[in-house]
Amino acid sequence: TKPDVSPLPPGSHLLFAQTGKIEHIPLDSYHLKKSEAKAVLHIPDKVVIAVAYDCVDKMVYWTEITGPSINKASLQGGDPIPIIRSELESPEGIAVDHLGRTMFWTDSMRDVIEVASLDGSQRRILFNTDLINPRAIVTDPVNGYLYWADWNRDAPKIEASYMDGTSRRVLVKDNLMLPNGLTYDPQTSQLCWADAGTLKVECMTPSLGNRRKVLDGVQYPFGITSYGRNLYYTDWKRDAVIAANSYAGKETDEFHPQKQSRLYGITTAYAQCPAGQNYCSVN
Amino acid sequence: DSTAGTPTDCAPCPCPGGTSCAVVPRTNEVVCTNCPTGTTGKKCELCDDGYFGDPMGHNGPPRPCRPCKCSDNIDTNAVGNCDRETGECLKCIFNTDGFFCDRCKDGFYGNALAANPADKCKACSCSPFGTVDRQTNCNQVTGQCPCLPHVTNRDCSACEPGFFNLQSGQGCKRCNCSEIGSTN
Repeated sequence: TKPDVSPLPPGSHLLFAQTGKIEHIPLDSYHLKKSEAKAVLHIPDKVVIAVAYDCVDKMVYWTEITGPSINKASLQGGDPIPIIRSELESPEGIAVDHLGRTMFWTDSMRDVIEVASLDGSQRRILFNTDLINPRAIVTDPVNGYLYWADWNRDAPKIEASYMDGTSRRVLVKDNLMLPNGLTYDPQTSQLCWADAGTLKVECMTPSLGNRRKVLDGVQYPFGITSYGRNLYYTDWKRDAVIAANSYAGKETDEFHPQKQSRLYGITTAYAQCPAGQNYCSVN
Repeated sequence: DSTAGTPTDCAPCPCPGGTSCAVVPRTNEVVCTNCPTGTTGKKCELCDDGYFGDPMGHNGPPRPCRPCKCSDNIDTNAVGNCDRETGECLKCIFNTDGFFCDRCKDGFYGNALAANPADKCKACSCSPFGTVDRQTNCNQVTGQCPCLPHVTNRDCSACEPGFFNLQSGQGCKRCNCSEIGSTN
């Protein structure tokens, strides 16, 4: 039997991975419509880690470490489409540039960051140095930036570069331990991360460097995503998706899937693409 | 289908311990929704990431899902630490290797099972000049590198007394000093 995608109703949603499946929770402004949460896709023999969303074609992209492979599927229904199946070892992060029509991923065993077109063509290695445990990766398509986190226990860091791989620099390296999750909000220009070692969620505006704590006392965050003023993260100890108001700095809600097991990556499926044009198309 | 009006409308979930299940709308497939801890899959027949086993006995006798057994040589923040069926450790750290991360990887020696990471596996660091075929591997336990003739030390970094010219890369040569003119 083929795994089938259950089409998503209109509106914005959270998409998150739980071992052999990708689930969604509809968002009603900032509220989780928990009663309408359900699986989008069942792939029981795979361990899905990272998820990303392409707001143009309304496709979900994911990495799984069993094959390992990178795949996509339309959220309007249809079967999964494999994109990359070779030269992967432990792909644990994926990000889509919906303007440039490319995807980026991390591999924590090959210790690389790679880029390819959304169909898997034009694949190339962007970085293969100074990476130990790269995991979360996110894009800022309008400004052409790429951000990623490396949870290397000896020297954890959050880095940035342009999407073509130039201007690589370390954004954060102090007071980090296990920065598992990373998210960039295009509306507020906030980069936020969830750290399973410091047990904090922190944010900064990358161009300003105004780092600040948003949540502390979190238990074991893995993935994080933003939606306006809200942050949503998955937690390995609570086996839940937790909603927090980043302005008020407090937790507002949580969602426990029926099955208690680890939740991995999480992303926001926007009803519409965020405003902005490709930095390459300017001038 | 509870609307058909027959006594068999509702069938029991085919899930371990009578746990709950659901029907996937488009495919009519039954999927267990509350598999026991460490298990997953449509019929709870697989182990979750971080666990290994064969709960339904697809390959031999059933083995319940247990946490990866990797000699404390994996990082709990990593994913995919062991094969979900065989339990083979896939992400050994501290320079260990092997099915259970229970030995030092090539080029390292020591006790992979030592309690303190600093005492586990140390680099062989064989001297390239004094080691046979410039090998980088050493004895897994003692750390002794395979030395060329008349070369000594664990790492083959010195000539035996009375021998010289380690740099030749072909072993050390006898000094042949005159007994009369030498101090010892």
